[in-house]
Amino acid sequence: MTASTSARESAATAAGSTPVLAARTRGLRKVYGRTVAVDRVDLDVPEGAVLGMLGPNGSGKTTTIRMLLGLVRPTEGEVELLGEALPDGAATALPHVGALVEGPGFHPFLSGRENLLRAAAFEPLLAGGAIKRAVEDALERVGLAGAAHRRYRGYSLGMKQRLGLAAALLVPRKLIVLDEPTNGLDPAGTREVRKVIADLHGAGSTVLVSSHLLSEIEATCTHVAVLHRGTVVAQGELAELLRADNSALLVSTPQVDEALNALRAGRISARPNDDGVRVELIGTDAPEVLRTLVEAGVPVHEARRARTGLEELFARLTEAEDADHHLSAVDTIEEGTR
Amino acid sequence: MTTATTTAVRAPLGRQLRSELRWIIRRPRTFFGLLSLCLVPIVAGVGMWVAMDGDGPLGPGLAAIIAGNGLVLPVFTLFLSLPLLLPLIGAIWAADGIAGEAQHGTLRGLLLAPVGRVRLLAIKAFGVAAMTLIATALMALVGAVTGAILFGGQGMLTLSGTTLPFVEAVGRIALTVLLVTVQVWGVAAVALAISTTTEHPLVVMATTLGGVILFNVLGVFEALDWLHPYLITSSWNSLADVMRDPLPTDQLWRSTALAGCYVLIGLSLAAMRMATKDN
Repeated sequence: MTASTSARESAATAAGSTPVLAARTRGLRKVYGRTVAVDRVDLDVPEGAVLGMLGPNGSGKTTTIRMLLGLVRPTEGEVELLGEALPDGAATALPHVGALVEGPGFHPFLSGRENLLRAAAFEPLLAGGAIKRAVEDALERVGLAGAAHRRYRGYSLGMKQRLGLAAALLVPRKLIVLDEPTNGLDPAGTREVRKVIADLHGAGSTVLVSSHLLSEIEATCTHVAVLHRGTVVAQGELAELLRADNSALLVSTPQVDEALNALRAGRISARPNDDGVRVELIGTDAPEVLRTLVEAGVPVHEARRARTGLEELFARLTEAEDADHHLSAVDTIEEGTR
Repeated sequence: MTTATTTAVRAPLGRQLRSELRWIIRRPRTFFGLLSLCLVPIVAGVGMWVAMDGDGPLGPGLAAIIAGNGLVLPVFTLFLSLPLLLPLIGAIWAADGIAGEAQHGTLRGLLLAPVGRVRLLAIKAFGVAAMTLIATALMALVGAVTGAILFGGQGMLTLSGTTLPFVEAVGRIALTVLLVTVQVWGVAAVALAISTTTEHPLVVMATTLGGVILFNVLGVFEALDWLHPYLITSSWNSLADVMRDPLPTDQLWRSTALAGCYVLIGLSLAAMRMATKDN
């Protein structure tokens, strides 16, 4: 199953056609009363990818995930999960999907093991005889084997989160959806979750992970989708997205003042940098910048694109959105509180 | 295009039902609920036994009725518990079944397994129904044993003045258990419907008990007698027919059919809500 999956994926990539998708939404919209939670979300989750869904709190990440899993019915739009249109295909697709949504959900009066046994009893892909083994394996995998006999009531936040992860890993999955999986985890726990995600990726599973922590996404993901105000504002391969957004040129030169003067004369915005100038490529491009400098007799040692971190991209996207939609944002808040 | 998966698979129904029952029984409140149900016949029996010895107004008269008639006790306590205690216990199970699972975030897990929404409701309804039957049967058993020990269990004095032999008396107790269970199912089905609309089990219990009390009040007003045939609570008095000899079945059938209607309506509303509910 895994082999054929990755074979198909590489075939698609090699052919240069659209990659096979593990999940896909089109025109997704959800309205609660008068509040628009999610609007026009077209999300593509390529098979075999680790897709990070990045967005500030309240940007619609969880609502999108809940619609993707058929927990919530979209007001408008379509969801396709592992090739099945929801909600009709839920029974076919969901057994192959493991999920941790909106925090771990378990019963406080049962032990960690008993909680997992109960969850396992409802897993379609687990044969009756395989349940015990699967539960112990999952506990082992998240490092909870030692505390499995203790009541869930007494678990720390991190242990609860691990148990939620264990439930998602009860069965080998084609797609794993993790909503804020590192919430409440200490640095060691965060590293373990990253390792679990890397292992899943290595085994050919597709992973969809949401976070409001940028470092988390940068560390674990191959793809990213940035959500803001209920809409996807950017998505694609992580590396590509970082490259595409480089709108600044770093020019190293010993004559900073001359360079700044020359550029300003050419109506190009620039400011001093560590060993030269940083030029914003707004209304201009790299060749024009260099020509301007060379024609003004400024020596150029090196010119390279500024590599912005995802953090900067994220901040810029959300800030731009805020500026654009300032008025509508006020409207939405008023509607929400009314 | 996204990749195609295999066909739909479901976990075996028997495994799901067993898991549901085990989950209900493991819950501490189930234990205490059943314990309180067991205490009712014991307390009632001991109370009668003490009163029988005394010289109070209940003394000699009660003694004459109850002596050698211990098998009346389970029937008596079931009737005593039907107006409030049994609906409360049924409502607790119905409340925990869906609202409680939603509150703990475990309903999501079940739906993602996936358990189909209507199938999940069926599993929950089975759990509540089975536990209700277990509760009434347990109560009757404790009542019968208590009655037999305290008053002797040879037979059962009926409201018609005859005395039923042991075997027939046991049959009447079993019949009472079934009749009372169906009435509680009627209430619990409505509670299950309420349970699908909220994340707060307490709301379900309060609403259900409030409804039972409201129905009792409505049943008192003669001006509303056109309404009484449709009130589930108003038919509960007629269950005393089970203590007559020969057994008149008209009212027993009618009240059972009425409770059946409540079950149908409650489960239909719950299924409609479950099918479209956001989780």
